[in-house]
Amino acid sequence: MALREPAWRVSARELETSLEEERGSGERAAGYVLSPFGARMNRVLVAGTLSPAEAIGRDEAQTFWRARLSDPTGVVAVTAGSFQPRAMAQLRAVHSPRPALVVGKVHLYRGRDGVGYVSIRAEGARALSENEERALLADVVRQTLDRLDLVERIEKGASLPEEERRRDGIPSAWVRAARDALQRYPNVDRPAFRRDLRAVLRRVAGDLGPPAAPGSPPTVTIVRAPPPKAPAPAPSAEERAEESVFLDLLDEVAEVSVDGYADLKEVLTRVASRGLVSERAETVLNRLEEEGVIEEPIVGKLRRAT
Amino acid sequence: MASRESSGAPVEVRLKELRPNGIPVEFVARVVSLQQREVTRKSDGSRRPLLSGLLSDGTATVRFTWWDPPREGVERGLVLRASGAEVREFRGRPELTFTWRTRVGPASPAELPRVDAEEVPIRPLRELAAGDEGFRVEVRVAKVAPRPVTVGEERRVVHEGIVADASGLLRLTSWSDFGLAPGEAVRISGAYVRSFRGRLELVLDERAIVARIDGAGLPDPGALLGAPPRSIAAVEDEGGGPVVTVEGIVVGLLPPSGLVYRCPECRRSVKSGICRIHGQVEGQPDLRARIVLDDGTGALTVNTDRAATERLWGVTLEECRARLRDQPDPGLLEEQLLEALFGRRLRVRGSGTKDDFGVTVVPESIERVDVDLDAAADELSARLGGGS
Repeated sequence: MALREPAWRVSARELETSLEEERGSGERAAGYVLSPFGARMNRVLVAGTLSPAEAIGRDEAQTFWRARLSDPTGVVAVTAGSFQPRAMAQLRAVHSPRPALVVGKVHLYRGRDGVGYVSIRAEGARALSENEERALLADVVRQTLDRLDLVERIEKGASLPEEERRRDGIPSAWVRAARDALQRYPNVDRPAFRRDLRAVLRRVAGDLGPPAAPGSPPTVTIVRAPPPKAPAPAPSAEERAEESVFLDLLDEVAEVSVDGYADLKEVLTRVASRGLVSERAETVLNRLEEEGVIEEPIVGKLRRAT
Repeated sequence: MASRESSGAPVEVRLKELRPNGIPVEFVARVVSLQQREVTRKSDGSRRPLLSGLLSDGTATVRFTWWDPPREGVERGLVLRASGAEVREFRGRPELTFTWRTRVGPASPAELPRVDAEEVPIRPLRELAAGDEGFRVEVRVAKVAPRPVTVGEERRVVHEGIVADASGLLRLTSWSDFGLAPGEAVRISGAYVRSFRGRLELVLDERAIVARIDGAGLPDPGALLGAPPRSIAAVEDEGGGPVVTVEGIVVGLLPPSGLVYRCPECRRSVKSGICRIHGQVEGQPDLRARIVLDDGTGALTVNTDRAATERLWGVTLEECRARLRDQPDPGLLEEQLLEALFGRRLRVRGSGTKDDFGVTVVPESIERVDVDLDAAADELSARLGGGS
């Protein structure tokens, strides 16, 4: 039985720099976004300034809302759709930028150019008093420093047997996340990231400062060595047949949807009923996106590329 | 039951001295538990009665098997003297077998061996496991309070609390009044450990002996209960405990939360007017919340009762019922409760148990927390270095 996923306390910058993920396999498996700084996130809790939400999609009845949450290190997109009615109402209730916390699931969307965008699908949001915001940001800095220390300890060769881990009060999930971070992001500028945290600390200390400019480009440089991609072999006839099943179903779903998009979950459900197992369906979906046949302009919403 | 000349005179022993060395033994012990059954003989298919259970003489508890027991039966609690019993070993522990050669008769409790307290080891609380007896503990009573209970038809008072030594904490349940008071240090012998609803407790009955001691080296009761919060991940690692203190943010509610209906007989929650024990009943309204508290390292469930829910929510049960009359949708009440609690920082102290769904805490205290921001900023500034 899986325990509830904890809400990792992270900064917007840590989310912006997270480019790796671990897809869950099997039924109801959780997926994770891995950060360079030792977080293995399914759910997060972030605090900062929440902007008014804007509607995405054409139909008023089926809209999807997107807001931005900025903290002193950066900005992250927060979304809510009709599957999260409470969170959607909370996002819509924000009429001017205000301090807030958001709890939600992390999603990594990789665009066709290969650039990753992290967003949070909100489960709940609430306006905060200034002191509440500062207290949450203090949690973010403290836990981020704890994780960075752990990553560095493991990098120096600490093996952390169970007894030592418990004595030092380190969650077992953090050890795994730290190891993953070191493996997936071998060259990451942790000192620069620590400097970014000072901006958060200034907010904790009560210096309101200018709010972070939305969309400021990240200054953390991540030198990743992506594994060289073997040229993909041309899809077999069988794979082409799978693609055509997928596209037919996508068209079917899009046709009856009010906003013209096909809901990803809906498509995957129908594809599964045609006997295409979810892993295969993911492969087909990825290939179609890479080939530019379909696109996912909103997380979870598909359409034929125009 | 027959003579004993063939193996020579049995040696009188105490149960903790039993050795499976082929020498028949004589002892006095009390029947702690028993069950009767029959086995079918392979040779002729006849049925042969058999009693088995546990015997205790205060020095140890041992399994026994009694072939062809008396027809009139044997009662739990009987003190018996057995002569010529065989000692066998099963899974490394001695067991007693009463055969046709064993003479068994009633004995007086006064004949039970005098257990010199000095012989029984003093053990740290952390090492105790369910089923343990024949030990002493030296503990500080962190808290204790009487509670009336009904056992079958009988009304009794049980004294419940928490005891502590340097190794840890343990729940205490005493069926006799030893005049225990919070803060005092005691040496307890004759108690045993059982697992009740997934948690261990030290049980004292009328046979237990409690002596006051000076308690040097035992932890301070105030420090025990006022311990600073620990990470939820650490609480999960340890599987809960009698005193768990955590601090986190409310990130959700689990059903059923809000207005619930309970059976007037047993307080179980009632679904569609049906209690699963008492059938159709008039459900009584009550308030509760199952709060998901998250501190970033893990999440656990905090079950609050009516008083705590009313206090946290700021809405009373009566106001809830009034709202329900205006807006007959119980789901809306749960939404309003969540709206009131979501994102709040709470510190919770209570007993924690762990199951497949994680740790659940039944709180003794639950309070909102104001973080000392200056202290936090100083601490983090020291860790980050470099100033601003």
